[in-house]
Amino acid sequence: MEIHDERIGDTCVVTAKGRLDGGASTAFADRIGALIASSKPKLLIDFAEVDFVTSAGLRAVLVLVKKIKAADGSFALCSVQESVREVLDITGFAGMLKIHAARAEAIAAMSE
Amino acid sequence: MTAVTTRLESTVLATEDGISDLTDRVLAFLEEQGVEARPTHHAALVLSEVLTNLGTHGGCRDQPARVAMTVEPDQVTGEIVDRGPPFDPRLAPAPALDLAADDRPIGGLGLYLVRKLSCALEYQRRGDENCTTFAIKRGTASNNGTSA
Repeated sequence: MEIHDERIGDTCVVTAKGRLDGGASTAFADRIGALIASSKPKLLIDFAEVDFVTSAGLRAVLVLVKKIKAADGSFALCSVQESVREVLDITGFAGMLKIHAARAEAIAAMSE
Repeated sequence: MTAVTTRLESTVLATEDGISDLTDRVLAFLEEQGVEARPTHHAALVLSEVLTNLGTHGGCRDQPARVAMTVEPDQVTGEIVDRGPPFDPRLAPAPALDLAADDRPIGGLGLYLVRKLSCALEYQRRGDENCTTFAIKRGTASNNGTSA
């Protein structure tokens, strides 16, 4: 899985590409976890090019969410593909996370 | 006239690398057969989750499992035959899905996805082997999962 990060305002925006599965989940959580070491971190992960998410990938996302909640920060996903969105719906992640249709909308919401 | 079916057969070790390589092959096979994106994704995901469970909870990473994927006109079916300890994926407890992030346990979602994404899920213990079969409905509509 490829991961690219940038800062837009006070939000860390991560673009992920590829499969978030058992082979990628640990590196995903470690790499992004290192980006949110500050207090009250704001993290947006763009899932536009994430085409496959397993339970191990969901576990990595949950680890990040818990870390951000503990630091009183905020977390969102955007641009989630249809099949991945179904996985998030089934597992209750869609109700637990903020999921935006598009990156611009997510950044605007997180900047408020 | 008999409906045309195509089949992929392979063996795989239930390790991260083995499962990842198999996922590549299954995704490529289903795309080549013209299976729609949604059932392609879900069939590969269900196969991956069953094998991940075999490796992590069944502790069976050193004996290859036999897998097969069959494309039928109205569904994709998968079969996994392994030498892990007896395990019926239909009986795994359902995770608590309505908890806030702070309270949600880490894990427990893989077999739940298997049950919810499959329109049929069967299990038999045959001698010293587990035989798990599943089906994913083709098309774009959601499957009705096999249980809660």
